[in-house]
Parts: sequence; structure tokens; C-alpha cells
Amino acid sequence: MSAYVASIVSVVGINMILALSLNIITGFCGQVSLGHAAFYGIGAYTAAYLSKLGVALPLTLLAGTITAGLIGVVVGLTSLRVRHDFLAVTTMGIGFVFLGFVRKQKWLGGELGISGIPASGLDPLAYALLIVGAAAAVIAFTVWLKRSWMGFTFDAVADDEDAARTVGINVSTYKLTAFGIGTALAGLAGGLYIYFARIILPDTFDFVQSIAILTMVVIGGTGSVWGIVASTIALTLLPEVSRAASDYRLLIFGAMLMLVMRFSPDGLAGLVRRRTTP
Amino acid sequence: MLFVELAVTGLVYGCMYAMMAVGLTLVYGLLRILHIAHAGVFALGAYVAVVVANATGSLALGFALALVVSAIAGVAIYRFAYQPLLGHPPFVPMIVSIGLFIVMQEGFRMVFGAYGIAFDDNPWYTSTVAIAGINLNYVEIAMVISSVVLLVGFGLFASLTRAGIGWRATVTDPQMATSFGVDPVRVRYVIFLFGSALAGIAGALVGLLNNYVEPTMGGLVSYKALAIIVLGGLGNVRGTLLASLVLGVVESYGTIYLADVFDRDAIGFLFLIVVLMVRPQGLLGRG
Amino acid sequence: MHKSFIGAALAAGLLFATGASTGASAQIKIGFHAPQSGPAAADGKSSTIGAEIARDWINEKGGVLGQKIELVIYDDQNRPEQAVPIANKLIGQDKVVAAVSGSYSAPTRAAAAVFQTAGIPYFSAYGVHPDITSGGNWAFRGVTLGGPQGKGAAKFISTKFPKAKVSMLTMNNDFGQSIADGFKEVAPKDGLTIIKEYTFGLGERQFGPIIASVKADNPDVIYAIGYYFVGGPLVAQLRAAGLKQPIVAAQAFDSMKLMEIAKDAANGVFVVGGMDRQRKTPPDLQPFEAEFKKRAGYDTEAVAANCYSSVMLVVDAIKRAGSTDPKKIRDALAATKDFPMLTGKLGYFNAIGEIYMPLEVTVVKDGTFVGATVIDDKTILAPPGK
Repeated sequence: MSAYVASIVSVVGINMILALSLNIITGFCGQVSLGHAAFYGIGAYTAAYLSKLGVALPLTLLAGTITAGLIGVVVGLTSLRVRHDFLAVTTMGIGFVFLGFVRKQKWLGGELGISGIPASGLDPLAYALLIVGAAAAVIAFTVWLKRSWMGFTFDAVADDEDAARTVGINVSTYKLTAFGIGTALAGLAGGLYIYFARIILPDTFDFVQSIAILTMVVIGGTGSVWGIVASTIALTLLPEVSRAASDYRLLIFGAMLMLVMRFSPDGLAGLVRRRTTP
Repeated sequence: MLFVELAVTGLVYGCMYAMMAVGLTLVYGLLRILHIAHAGVFALGAYVAVVVANATGSLALGFALALVVSAIAGVAIYRFAYQPLLGHPPFVPMIVSIGLFIVMQEGFRMVFGAYGIAFDDNPWYTSTVAIAGINLNYVEIAMVISSVVLLVGFGLFASLTRAGIGWRATVTDPQMATSFGVDPVRVRYVIFLFGSALAGIAGALVGLLNNYVEPTMGGLVSYKALAIIVLGGLGNVRGTLLASLVLGVVESYGTIYLADVFDRDAIGFLFLIVVLMVRPQGLLGRG
Repeated sequence: MHKSFIGAALAAGLLFATGASTGASAQIKIGFHAPQSGPAAADGKSSTIGAEIARDWINEKGGVLGQKIELVIYDDQNRPEQAVPIANKLIGQDKVVAAVSGSYSAPTRAAAAVFQTAGIPYFSAYGVHPDITSGGNWAFRGVTLGGPQGKGAAKFISTKFPKAKVSMLTMNNDFGQSIADGFKEVAPKDGLTIIKEYTFGLGERQFGPIIASVKADNPDVIYAIGYYFVGGPLVAQLRAAGLKQPIVAAQAFDSMKLMEIAKDAANGVFVVGGMDRQRKTPPDLQPFEAEFKKRAGYDTEAVAANCYSSVMLVVDAIKRAGSTDPKKIRDALAATKDFPMLTGKLGYFNAIGEIYMPLEVTVVKDGTFVGATVIDDKTILAPPGK
């Protein structure tokens, strides 16, 4: 594996964790979030801040994961107050508030972000493998989660909240759990990102990033695991294969979003399912 | 004095937001779609105005065409992007809308260039008039006047004309309206036509106000317009108008007094989140 | 079934990725990346054209060391997670001997770490983040850092308008903040009073509240730090609001778009770190402006001039090194003295690769930038060490 392949694999792995983590909130539990990049950012900022203080890699990752998860639970509280499209726009707002706040914090580097992040101590290949390992663990976890009792309950909440409540499901607890797990994993991705890029600036975690994560989820198929794994790989490699046609890249990306939703609203997963079960 | 001036500036922005947000909230009220590509229509209006005005030398012609083209674009978006998806869960058309917005933005960049375009002749934007000691430029005044005229016009349309009453009936109870002979598809076309024309004119005016039309100009306005329609109670036109003006003023003060803690773009959303936690249905409740 | 699909996707991707990089050999390859799609594409486009002009002119004159040069150009979309694979690809697949960044700070800093590890000289044409060069001694910068630029502005204002009360208008990004920090550090010592600092985002085009407040402050001088696309509307609105104070602006106001947007209101605006478009030196400036206009269809942007000069300098270093060994190119780059960049005369690089270059101050007159003065102060503009 060359250094180039290692860096591509690293980006794929980080994107995969991000997409699967949003999938827990949006896909499994049905709570649309347009501000997922904020939690990616919270994890990254926490880990970067600690790494500069000399804290070792496993602890920075852990701290990033926990901080993002805790703040995620607090943000999840909004999902108890507002629903559907109101929630979508609220979470989008949370993304903007996070950025607007971080920009002005001198202790977080303000606009200059945090740079000079120490090396991971692993060579790029080993670090790529660490990321792949983390992504594999997240895949395994979400597969398990989906089939578990909790996964079925999430499903019920996503399908019809009020019906779920009448059969005695504590909807609030499950929503908060989904937010907590999903945002914590986004925080993990953020932590992994900092040793890869070695610099973080506020703009890395902007609305466009949130949309990019959401795109991977919906193109893969909201609620599916393997569809999202496939779409993450495809979408991350797309710029690599099409560098020559770079002028049209975002255009193609936008058009693809429209076409997939238009002809297969349940994403790649739906496409495959229809193919295999005629 | 500064206090009053900030309020006035805020209200002027509020009018701009209103022209953008009313179309969005109308679409939402009717179809339950977060129509993000509305921001693309806004930028389209600006591009048509600047390109036509620079080519022909006539600002009036530029604005007239901006109105027509954006109205047609809006109807086309409904027909080709949203209508086939009406039965799907709301996030499906929303994603399509995001995709369409990206396509439009990149399309503008490729057709008109990555650097924006300025009006060759823009007589109004540096000429100001002092009203009670507060400087307003002519474009700002035009913005306020056109938003008032267009929105009052819409109010009259909704309450006095057959089509307007049909629209309101469709929003309240589509099935009932249909059984009384209202054609729901026609109502949707009318709403997209009107809302998009409004956005196109807003875009053209903002282009004139900045004297700069650029591919990304829809972005920020669209995020704020989304916040506004939620703040106003999705689908509620009066709530949206109120929310537009309130957000304009809140931002105006926030820019000066909160700048050390949050940037301006965050202030609007912070306000939104706080209001929603207290009133989950928005300022005036759902329309 | 699922797994085979993923496997196929992965394999297809890698196949493409590795198959794409077979180019003509016997050329000296120099890497180049810039944002060519998305919101930052405008500067990326100008940068790329500037670098390509340098490449073509060098090759017309027979190249360097008897070989033609080839620019390997990639789009980084202004995102660090794109820049890291690009840097690895340039090094591993394309085997470049040096690379130039025509991009902003975030992707440039992320790529710099990769070039540092690989030991390939890397040249940031206009990224201003202080950390780009601090990772080691393989990265160089072709533009004066934000801090010294801000200090230069304070020096200019205090010389021209002694004891002035200043209102600062700062753009919210790394460019804005680093210049503002430099300015605030020395302004009081130069006898300037900062009344208040206002900040605004890159997307901001309407400055009503800020202008109302500046008006109430009634400063002697307005110091504006931002890009031309915020600068144009800002200047026009300041003038329209009846504020007649002198406006001093930072480097990124330097774009002919400024005058297109602000029209007559731009007249008299000072740009610290600008580029006099009428200058007769160096001799390639006027031909460059003509060639750029021919290729791009619009007037020369400063970032294009930066990228042109960066490529010229890297090739000059290869010539002086007499070799394509990256280590020797790096040493030659570090030893550069008095190289004529289009934006000014490069004095020297310090130990970490920061540039020393006098800052030109331009003023807008009759729709173009003309030279006002040059700040050549070795203490103020001294590039910071480690």
C-alpha cells in the first residue's frame, strides 16, 4: 500500500464512520440532522486541543468521542421539542452556532484553528490501518445495532412516533440514545481526522460538510449499512478518478444526488434489493 | 441615534429576507418540501438582471426578464423535480433540492465565470437620501417598496380572487378543496410562479445593492430563509413576515453587540434555537 | 453479494487511481494544486493560469537543465482531506521534484506536512497561515505573513496619518485574523488608537449595522481587512453613507474587481501589500499582464502573479542547483537572494522558509492600482523565526 493509497483509505474510513454515525440518528431513528459536521468538529477540536497538551492518542480519541456524545445528547433534547422539518432546520442551526462560536474563541485558535498537531506516532500506513479498524468496528456495531432489540425500537420510533409511544416505548430515551451514540461516533471520526490532516480550521466543519455526510447516507440508502459503506467508498473515490474533469466535479455530484433520489429514493441499497428480489 | 439606525438597517434587511422567505413558506405550506433550490432561483434572477442590463443598457428590461425567467424556472423546478416525488418522505425532495441547488450554483460558475459580475451602470446604489437623519440608498428604498407592494398584492390575491381563495382552501384541506372544484395542480403552479418571481426580483435587487452578482450568492440567504420560515411557523405567511423583520433587527444589533462571542450568521440561528425551545411551533404557530 | 459489490467498487477506484498517472517522461515534473471547483474556484482558476504561463514561457526558452518542465495540476477544492491524498499522489505516483500550492491555508498546511515527511520542497504561493512553514525546513512561502503585513499597515497609517484613531473592519478567517493580530500588536506603539474592531464573514455583502456604528465612532482612518468581493461592497457602502475618511486596506483588496464593484468609490483606497499594475520592473510584469488577460479574459489577479513567480522561482532554484535532487533544490531555494517576483523583490528566506520582501503600498487611481510608497523596514517586516 503506497502512501497515496493509504491516505485515500484513511479518508474513506473517516467518511464511513461519519456516514454510519449519522445513519444511526437519521436512518435508524428517523431524526433528520443537517448539522452532523458540528459533532465531527467537536471531536476534532477536543482531540486536537488535548493532543497539543501532550495527551496520548488513545485518550484524545476517547475524549473527542465522549465530548461529542455528551453535547450530542444535549442537542438531542431539541428533538424532543421539535420534529421533522423543524428539527432539520434546528440541527442546521446548531451547525452554524458551533462554527460561529468556535471562530471567536481565542483559546481554540479562532480563525486560525489548531495547527501543529503532533504526529500520531504511527507511520501513515499503520495509521490508515487503525482508521480502517475503527471503521470496521463501527460497521460491525451498526450491523449488530440494527438487528438488536434496540434497533427494532428505533425503527418503531422512526416509523410512527406516536404509535410507538402508545405501545409503551419511551420515545425520548431512545431518541437521546440515538443522538448520543451517533454524535459520539462522529466525534471519534473527528479525533481520527486530526492526526491525518494535522491542522483543523473552523471551515472544515461547515454546512457543506454536513451535507456531504448526509449525501453519503441517502445515496447509500437511509437506514441500510452496506449500502452506505458502498456509497462512501464510491463517493470518496469519485474525485480521485475524475480529477481530470475537475471543473465539472461538483456539478456531477449535484446531478447524481438528484438522479439517485429521483429514480431510487432508497438509495443504492434499494437498487440492489429490487434487483435481487424481483 | 445608533440604536435607531441599527433598527432601520435591520428592517431593510428584514424586507429582503421576507421576499426570499415568503416563497419558501408558501411552497412548504402546500407541499411540505424544504425548497432549498429557491436560493438558486434567487441567484438566477440576479444573473438575468445583470447580464441583460449590461448587454442592453436597460435596467428595467433586466428586471422584467429576471421576473419572467425566474418565475418560469420555479414552475419548471416544480414540474420536473418535485412533482414526481410527491408521495415520498419529505427528505427525498429535500435532498433533490440540495442537489439541484449545487447544480445551479456550479452551472452559474461555468456559464458566467467564477468571478462575479458587476453592473456596468448602477446609478442608484451609491446615491443616498437622508430620511430623518438616517442614510438610505435608493436600492434599499426600492427593496422596501417592492417587498411591500408585492406582499400586499399577494395578500389581496389570496383574499379577493378565486385562485387565491382556492389556494388557501388547498392549503387547509386539499381533499375538500378538490371536491369544490379547485384544481390542486394549478394552485401549485401558481404558487411556484409567484414565489419564484418574488425570489428572482429579490435576487436582482440584492445584486444591485451589492453591485455584484456571484455564483454563491444564494447560499447564505437560503440558510437564513430556512431559519426564518421555521421561526415563523412553517407554512405560516404572516409568521414568516414577522420572523423576517425580527431576524433582520436581531442580526443588526447582534453584529455590533455580540460580535466578540458569535459571528453574525450564528446569531440568527441561535435566536431560532432559543425561540423554538420555548415555542416549538414557531413565533405564530403553524399556518 | 454485498461484499463483492464493495470489493468491485474499491478495486475499480484503485485501478483508475493508479492508471491515470502515466505521462510523458524525460520531463522535470513540478506539482501544483489549487481549488478549481466549488466556492473557492475563482482564485484557483487565476492561480492555475498564472502557473501555466510560467511553465509555457520557461519551456519556450528551452526549459531547464536541457529538459522541459511539466506541471502536474490537481484540484483540491480548498479542502485539507483532498490535499493530503494529492500530496501523496504527487510524491509517490507522479514523482515530482518540487511542488507549488496555488491554494488557501487549510489544504496547503495539510499538504505541507506530507511534503515535509517525504523531503520534497514545497512552495506556498499565497497561503498566509503562519503554520504552513513551521513544520520543518521543506516548506517556503512566497508572500509576506499576516503578522508583518499588519505591522506594515500600522507603520504606513502612523506615518501618513500620525496619531490617527482607527476603526478596524476584519474579515472572519485566518487571513483576516492574522493580519489584524499583527496590526493590533504594534498600533498603540505607533501612536495609533484603535477605537473598535468589527468582524464580518466571507459571505457578508451588506454592512449597514457596522457602518452605522463606525459612523458613530467617527474615526480618522478606516482599516479594512478582507477580500475584494467583500471589500468592493464595503467601500461603496462606506462612501454612500457619507464617510469620507481615508480607507486603508489589506492585500486581498488587490483585484481589478474591486473597482468594477465599487466604481468611483474605490478611488483613493490604499492597499498595503498591493501590486502596482503600471510598474516597469521586473521586465516580465507587463508581458505577464497582457498574456494573462489574453488567456483568462479578465485582468491580472495578484494570486496569479504570485503563482507565476513561485513557479519561476522553483525553476530558477533547479537551475541554480544544477540538479533535480530535491535536497539540492531545497538548498538552492533557501539560498535565494534578491529574486524579482512580480509582486516585489524577494529579499531572502529565513531559516524556516519565510519570505522577506518589501511591502508595496498602492492606491486606487482612475480605475487601477498605482504605487504610493514602499515599506522596506527590516525590523517591522522581519519574518518571524520558529
